[in-house]
Amino acid sequence: MWVFLVRSFDASTIFTIAALGELIGQRSGVLNVGIEGVMLFGATLGFITAQTTGSYLLGFLVGIAVGGLLGLMHGFFSITLGVDQVVSGMGIWILGFGLTAYIGNPFTGPLGMGRIPSVLGLAPFFFLGIVLVVITWFVLTKTSLGLQIRSVGENPSVAEVSGINVSRTRYLCVIVAGMLMGLAGAIYSLDYNPVWNYNFLQGWGFIALALVFFSMWNPLTLLAGSVLFGTLWQFSLNPQLVLPGFLSRYIWRTLPFAITLGALLLMSTRWFRTRWGAAKPEALGQPYEKG
Amino acid sequence: MRIGNYALKLEKRVTLSGWGAALISILAILFALLLFSLLFILADINPLAAYQAIFSYAFANPFGLPLAINRFIFLLLCTSAFIIPFKAGLWNIGMSGQLFAGALSAFAVVVAFGGKKFANPYLSPGLLIPLMLLAAALGGALFGAIAGFLKGRFNVNEIVVTMMLNFITFWLVSFMIKEGGPFMKSGGEGDGFELPSSIFGPLIKGIPFTIFIALGFAGLLYFMFAKTNIGYQIKAYGLSPAAARYAGIRTFMIPLLVFVMGGALAGLAGYHYFAAVPGLYKIPTNYGYFGDLAFYGIICGLISQGNPIAAIPVALLFGGLSVGGRFVQGQLHMSFGVDYALLGVLMITLVAFQFFYRFKIGWVKAGKESLDVGIPG
Repeated sequence: MWVFLVRSFDASTIFTIAALGELIGQRSGVLNVGIEGVMLFGATLGFITAQTTGSYLLGFLVGIAVGGLLGLMHGFFSITLGVDQVVSGMGIWILGFGLTAYIGNPFTGPLGMGRIPSVLGLAPFFFLGIVLVVITWFVLTKTSLGLQIRSVGENPSVAEVSGINVSRTRYLCVIVAGMLMGLAGAIYSLDYNPVWNYNFLQGWGFIALALVFFSMWNPLTLLAGSVLFGTLWQFSLNPQLVLPGFLSRYIWRTLPFAITLGALLLMSTRWFRTRWGAAKPEALGQPYEKG
Repeated sequence: MRIGNYALKLEKRVTLSGWGAALISILAILFALLLFSLLFILADINPLAAYQAIFSYAFANPFGLPLAINRFIFLLLCTSAFIIPFKAGLWNIGMSGQLFAGALSAFAVVVAFGGKKFANPYLSPGLLIPLMLLAAALGGALFGAIAGFLKGRFNVNEIVVTMMLNFITFWLVSFMIKEGGPFMKSGGEGDGFELPSSIFGPLIKGIPFTIFIALGFAGLLYFMFAKTNIGYQIKAYGLSPAAARYAGIRTFMIPLLVFVMGGALAGLAGYHYFAAVPGLYKIPTNYGYFGDLAFYGIICGLISQGNPIAAIPVALLFGGLSVGGRFVQGQLHMSFGVDYALLGVLMITLVAFQFFYRFKIGWVKAGKESLDVGIPG
């Protein structure tokens, strides 16, 4: 049972960090539906780097860097070129899905390195995740940079008039967002499940995207949601630990997705929206063109 | 940017003619293929030779051509499934889930009429095959309807919903065909059961009859969007849901309708690959590959700019490219996934080219005061 909990926390960490990146981007008004693609890239290139150089550190750095580059690319498409953010995000997802299947294939199989040491049985990334959540919460709500980010996400023209550089702020946010998603991918492939396989994520990125909606754009709520879904995900992988012999394991695998659907539905009802609807960044998804 | 007396100027396009859009699309495809040459060069392969091998296998080889045509039918159905919601401004990325749902429904009909146990099902093929088609369309439509209903009634983000449904159906198929599932082939290793030969999808000169369904629907959709009231309503909703509501269009019905139609076509794509393509006639253990291929439908839909007729040559080209890519991968000893990589490169190029659909670049003679360069507001 303890093992199960620990694995659940490890899974939550990946959801937390990836979704936190998305949250930062969305707070600045940029939606990136390509989280899964960024994670696949970070995971695959991080995995390849770590395996060929034998250095975990380099693996993580490459994962973060490639995530940042993809964030920059998303920014270039959606901020500078003014391409529909959904189109750009879909592009990044399919690019990640297609290209990593090809690049990573010669490296199919286990990583073959000593495990990363754990702290009190938990992966060190669990603590990193919590620290990142707290930092993000602090920056967004207590600092002038956070105010800048939020104002750019709510009303970019007003922000521009009051002297904030909208494009620069959004670029900063999407790049940081990409780095966090890349890091989350690298944690998956280097620590959580260090085996490379084609299209191994199977929906982590999309659940992270849904988690941002569930969190009402609040990092602390996001952490709670991630722990819930991390546990749920881990349970769906090992239902026999809790309910041995009940239903096929394939049916259990659908559980996190079905619950996501249910939660999305609940969140979209009028009751919820009248209470929470104001939380959504007003300018989310809209390209900003200087007036 | 200024060079001498001339300055580069961006202008927002007010209108874009059909031929203009086609030109940009062709340039995008050529650019993507150029970009993709890098992968061949990195693998020490002459890109020209590789492309020649791809195209000659896909379009001039007695083994490759039928594969390319089968792939084309599949992609055209998936593209149509993407285009219908796309016209309403909605993203159907759930073709993979809808086609699995369609395939499962079609095979459920076969099981219900004894086709799993006996070589001759209770019903004559002339009745059973249409029933399978109907079931496939209904199954796909049902899964599409979930996304459409949630979008129309509760404004739930359709991208997340369709993606969740993709994963749900992916595991449902595993449940049905593996580890003692109801559709498992007896003694099979993770494959679904094979159809009795009497209900294989009919072939016309070696080509599955589903080609007429795919082409017919492409034509129908073109007609629907060009000439009918409902097509007009869908397009109006796509331009602005709020304005459509003021114009008296029922904004709940449109998302539901487009997703039901799209889902039904994706369901037929599922029928096509698993029940009408020679050599398969079952849900194979690597069924996930066919779900991945459905994503080519998004690219075809975007490149053809939502035009169902323009989608025909695009789907043919990509059908050939993906089949040929798989072939050269084996032929030239490349790493697995050439067709996947091509999918990714095409998609991202297309995203970058979206810019040219919206802006045109021209050189203007720069006067002293026209230093205004950049995107005009």
